Amino acid sequence: MKAKLLMAALILGALAGGQAWAHHSFAATYFEDRTTQIEGRLVQFLFRNPHSFVHIEAPDDDGNLQRWAVEWGGAGQLGSQGVTSATLRPGDVVTIVGNPGRNPADHRIRMLSLRRTSDGFGWGQAPGETFN
Amino acid sequence: MRGHAGLTVHRADSGLKRQEIRVRSSISAALCALVFWAVPAGAQLSITGEWAGRYHEDFDDRVPGDVNGDFTGVPINDAARFYAETWDVRRVNVLEHQCQPYNLPHIYRGPLQFRIWEEKRPQTQEIIAYKIYIGTYMQSRTIWMDGRPHPSEYAPHTSMGFSTGEWFGDTLKVTTTHIKKEFYRRSGLPSSDQTQVEEYYVRHGNLMSQTMIITDPVYLSEPYVNSQEFELMERGNQNWLYNCEYVMEVPQPRHQVPHYLPGENPFLEEWANTFGTPFDAIFSGAPSTYPEYAPQIEDMVNEADNE
Repeated sequence: MKAKLLMAALILGALAGGQAWAHHSFAATYFEDRTTQIEGRLVQFLFRNPHSFVHIEAPDDDGNLQRWAVEWGGAGQLGSQGVTSATLRPGDVVTIVGNPGRNPADHRIRMLSLRRTSDGFGWGQAPGETFN
Repeated sequence: MRGHAGLTVHRADSGLKRQEIRVRSSISAALCALVFWAVPAGAQLSITGEWAGRYHEDFDDRVPGDVNGDFTGVPINDAARFYAETWDVRRVNVLEHQCQPYNLPHIYRGPLQFRIWEEKRPQTQEIIAYKIYIGTYMQSRTIWMDGRPHPSEYAPHTSMGFSTGEWFGDTLKVTTTHIKKEFYRRSGLPSSDQTQVEEYYVRHGNLMSQTMIITDPVYLSEPYVNSQEFELMERGNQNWLYNCEYVMEVPQPRHQVPHYLPGENPFLEEWANTFGTPFDAIFSGAPSTYPEYAPQIEDMVNEADNE
């Protein structure tokens, strides 16, 4: 029964918003069984299809400043969750939790949650705030 | 006495009149036969409407997408193995590939919705072509039903290729050539521009089955067969728009092409290791797709256990 519910949830999740557009496999791109966290300043928000990206300047584990590419949902899918191209602005200080990329040199993360320090805006904590 | 234009005859004796009636009847019968013979397509099952995929079959492969090192079920040859060994999934992030459409044998394997409508010859109402709009990557496809030949091998190749169709009873057979190269799997199994696809569509009420037989002399050692199910959507106009935009997704040196040199791909055996399956069983292609291969897997597992 649990398996059936999980299957139904996965299908609904994949098709919610009518846009299951993964042009690549997340499982192949990220370590889905690991999480990492960064805190830094947003330098670019690419609100687009097939997937949006948030570029953040934040230190790595060694304290060196890096430009991180955080992969987010497609514009259509995020739009149905209330996110627009104006939601984030360069200069915003944000904390991001996500799955790390398989190649550490890429400084790449798949977004699981985001929180903006200035006003507490968040994504990824409420039900349905996911992407595929 | 006047008959049909061009058939007027003037005969006094009754025998000739009977002959004239027979001629008229024969012509009428022939005309009727011609009229009914000219509309066989109208008797075919309709496949028009808006269809959505059902994903109960091969769900992991089709919806969340491939994981590294899953090469099962595809009759790959040495060339495909070499390609897969050097494949780095990050290549899809390169500018040129971000919005690259899936090609015909690949696009029906993923999440999709599509609309089919008919183009008919106005004078006869015969079906000239089925037109298809596929939401994923906004692809348009035509299946020509008027018996036209496929173009020269030097004609342009497209993601959806050039398709012709023919009804066999209630089964629509579609043959497609001139398909652009792409992938059978995003785990790095490539398809070449010599790929040809035969599709068989069978409708059962509001469900439609599609069986694909894919041949590729460059990367497959045998035909690759798979099947999909589609469901007629009661509410129309749910097709997607795919307004893909090219950007620098992940900062990286210009013109860099992510890849692994042969023997250096750290993820090649990940799937095999995850499921405790001998890698040979996953990477051997055609032999492993047959039931008689199962005992060999068992032998390989036993050998590994004994080592």
